[in-house]
Amino acid sequence: MMKKLVFTTALLGVSGLAAAAPQSATQSAAQSAAFKLPRFETTRLPNGLTVMLMERREVPLISVRAVVKAGAVNDGAQAGLANLTGDAILLGSTKHDKAAIDEAFDFRGALLSGGSATEQTTVQANFAKADAAALLPLFAEIVQQPSFEAAELDKLKNRKVSGLKQAKESPRQVAGTYYRSMLYGDAPYASPAGGTVNSLSALKRDDVRGFHGRYFRPDNAAVIVVGDFDPAAMRTQIETLFGQWRADGPAPQRADYGKPLADKPRVWLVNKPDAIETTFVIGGPGIARNDPDYVPLQVLNTVLGGRFTSWLNDELRVNSGLTYGANSAFAPLAQSGIFTMSSFTASAKTEAALDLALKTYQRLWAQGKEGGIDKATLDSAKAYVKGQFPPRFETGEQLASLLGDMYALDVDRAQIDNFMRDVDGLTPAKAKQLVDKHFPRTNLQMVLVGKADDIRKVAAKYGDVTELEISADGFKPAAK
Amino acid sequence: MHGKLVKFAAAIAVTAAASVLAGPAHAAFTADQVRTFTLANGMKFIVLESSTIPNANMYTFWKVGSRNEAPGTTGLSHFFEHMMFNGSKHYGPKMFDRTMEASGGSNNAYTSSDVTVYQDWFPATSLETIFKLESDRIAHLTIDPKMVESERGVVLSERSTGLENSNIRMLMEDLNSVAFSAHPYSWPVIGFESDIKAWTQQDLVDYFRTYYAPNNAVAVIVGDVKADQVKALATRYFGAIPKRAMPPAVKTVEPEQKGERRLFVAKPSATSANLMVAWKAPRADSPDYYALSVLQSVLTEGKTSRLYKALVEKQLATSVGADATDGFDPGLLYVFAVAASGVEGAKVEKALLDEIDNVVKHGISAQELQAVKNKKLVNLYRAQETISGKAQQLGNYETFFGDWRKLFDAPAEYEKLTPADIQAVATRYLKKSQRTIGMLAAKEE
Repeated sequence: MMKKLVFTTALLGVSGLAAAAPQSATQSAAQSAAFKLPRFETTRLPNGLTVMLMERREVPLISVRAVVKAGAVNDGAQAGLANLTGDAILLGSTKHDKAAIDEAFDFRGALLSGGSATEQTTVQANFAKADAAALLPLFAEIVQQPSFEAAELDKLKNRKVSGLKQAKESPRQVAGTYYRSMLYGDAPYASPAGGTVNSLSALKRDDVRGFHGRYFRPDNAAVIVVGDFDPAAMRTQIETLFGQWRADGPAPQRADYGKPLADKPRVWLVNKPDAIETTFVIGGPGIARNDPDYVPLQVLNTVLGGRFTSWLNDELRVNSGLTYGANSAFAPLAQSGIFTMSSFTASAKTEAALDLALKTYQRLWAQGKEGGIDKATLDSAKAYVKGQFPPRFETGEQLASLLGDMYALDVDRAQIDNFMRDVDGLTPAKAKQLVDKHFPRTNLQMVLVGKADDIRKVAAKYGDVTELEISADGFKPAAK
Repeated sequence: MHGKLVKFAAAIAVTAAASVLAGPAHAAFTADQVRTFTLANGMKFIVLESSTIPNANMYTFWKVGSRNEAPGTTGLSHFFEHMMFNGSKHYGPKMFDRTMEASGGSNNAYTSSDVTVYQDWFPATSLETIFKLESDRIAHLTIDPKMVESERGVVLSERSTGLENSNIRMLMEDLNSVAFSAHPYSWPVIGFESDIKAWTQQDLVDYFRTYYAPNNAVAVIVGDVKADQVKALATRYFGAIPKRAMPPAVKTVEPEQKGERRLFVAKPSATSANLMVAWKAPRADSPDYYALSVLQSVLTEGKTSRLYKALVEKQLATSVGADATDGFDPGLLYVFAVAASGVEGAKVEKALLDEIDNVVKHGISAQELQAVKNKKLVNLYRAQETISGKAQQLGNYETFFGDWRKLFDAPAEYEKLTPADIQAVATRYLKKSQRTIGMLAAKEE
């Protein structure tokens, strides 16, 4: 039982990356300015593979990950294909079967996982320094020569299908997926990363092999190693293990993955008949991950819904006791992004909570005594964001994940290195400009997951209502 | 295990064992880097200087949890934890969080059946502000009746959102009430709804006086600070808070369980059965702790663990897990599994219990034990990769094992275990008469 709920990641359901939302802060400008991304080297092998190495000697651990520029946006009509492929990588290589791989990693206390988000698919491992010589070759094998053994693939698929059904037992796990689907309509960014029960069930071994063949190629991938190693020796080992990887034909190109649609206020009411509370997400279009305003917007969002004393949490939780927690976030993707406010409340209090969230949100545009972001509030948010920044990049895994995002989502390292400076540079006047420019003020979009019979009338207050059954396949209304 | 797997595994096993364990078992820090001092009022501080990032943590462990409650006041420890953020003499309602966040810090707190822990994460330059805030609420908490009322809504929402979103939590709450007939571990840490609605102002005031005495706390500070500076600040801000009588002991001893117990929980939206089996287990500082911890890993940690192979690989379940809460009194070792779509809960239960019987009857292999020893060591590194991980470890060992130094004995404690030791604890604790089996599903089979 905690004082606060930390639920940003789960509720957004966007991707681990987008949800790596910024919270943070410091009093001493001098000390915080000292924080820079630790030194690392980036090289490109003749076959096109990007290699990033960052030496860290704190603990005798090594984090390694292969990052491929492909994800749910590349699924097409086969939602869940990238995700299944990312996990299926772990089912063994052409030289070692799944049992052998599992035993090799598990015996050494190593962690090995795969997965896929919206725009990147990763295979990652974390192990003791002393085990690098034994495990790196296996890691290289499964990335480059996965077997996708049929029986194991079937088992994995069945497990994931069960998991998709189970996720709908928890509104918090799926509200963000409905919300993204609502905002992006038929665009690739709407595709649910995990797929749907029907789409996943229909996938075949050849689909997975095809996806791997199209996207797992050295000129579309990076290998990242962070931890306790000798850089020269590690460089040689990575070159040996990945240097023979070959790409056929032209590298995949990115398409237009879509922009959020918010031409009028809309409500998706997702019926969960035994719900005792309403879980809600409200918002509209946001920004891309590499937007030049990304950092100052983290500060502004901190004021609105990014920390405990934020306006949303203060009003919905502290002042009124309507909920255990309320927050907001920009969920950025490579090309565009969405903005969300989210919370939950007892079914009977749905209207009170929604009205209060909307009223609180409008304070961003209020003037003078009525609201707006005054200097003291802004200074506090700036200190908070700076002070909470260094622990976000404390572990090898965190740093490897950051380097992966930089590669897959074109995040410039300047965004990290200039973080403190960009936070410091935010003034009340600039804040006002950024609020007007980036926070969607009208035509708000809303997803409500709850007991429809109890909240149907309330839902109609906020826009055109579309009703969905949570037990139905997928995350959007059935095609008519 | 399959033949092919054993063969391959054995070949690499030898080198792995040598490579992980033959080297110096260097943790990220050593015992001689840890400084401790105790103020005249009995409040103990543990300090570790660590300058990898310009930040620091302060974790304060209070020996009060739901085991200190009684029917009618269930959930009070947790509710009080919330009230500790709602105003003190120099920092009125909301000012604790506002002050901390304005100086770059964030915080949280948690309550278990045994302890309440406050966690502050902040830039090291804000250390003095943190000491001011923490000491003021311990010395001079004000309990505002208006804040009590709004906080009731928050905790009721916390309770209902947990039940809405987590089947395992719903199941565990009911299972505890069946597994324990007398001991306070029987009720949920968050408390019953009716009790949450019923606290009086006096309950809260009394709670503060009884449990929040400096001599009932241990504070751990890890980060880019100097131990001398911490000691000076601690003395200045906490030193004058008077020592008080230690809280009353928990007297209830759970009577011996005489046979298997069962329960069923209906949740209409459950798409598959959730199974939880819990066995009576000893208190945290039992000599059996390390062997039980290994047993738990053998059963559920990793893709080669017994239950993962027996349930998930065989497509009976989508996930398995285990938990054992550190406690001052004898508690439970929980194992749980979520059935795969279309698989009856009873089938998962049988497979799970068969595997348990297998471990009891035949023990575990040297290879399995070595794998767990390797995991424990690598996990130790992972925990010590962050300043908060270090603070949590030091605080846990000090609180539940009586001495933070025992953290440094852990690798040797694991290393000396044999397969026979693991089978012995499996035989001692994983008995039918000592287990409670809970099932959650849309409807009873």
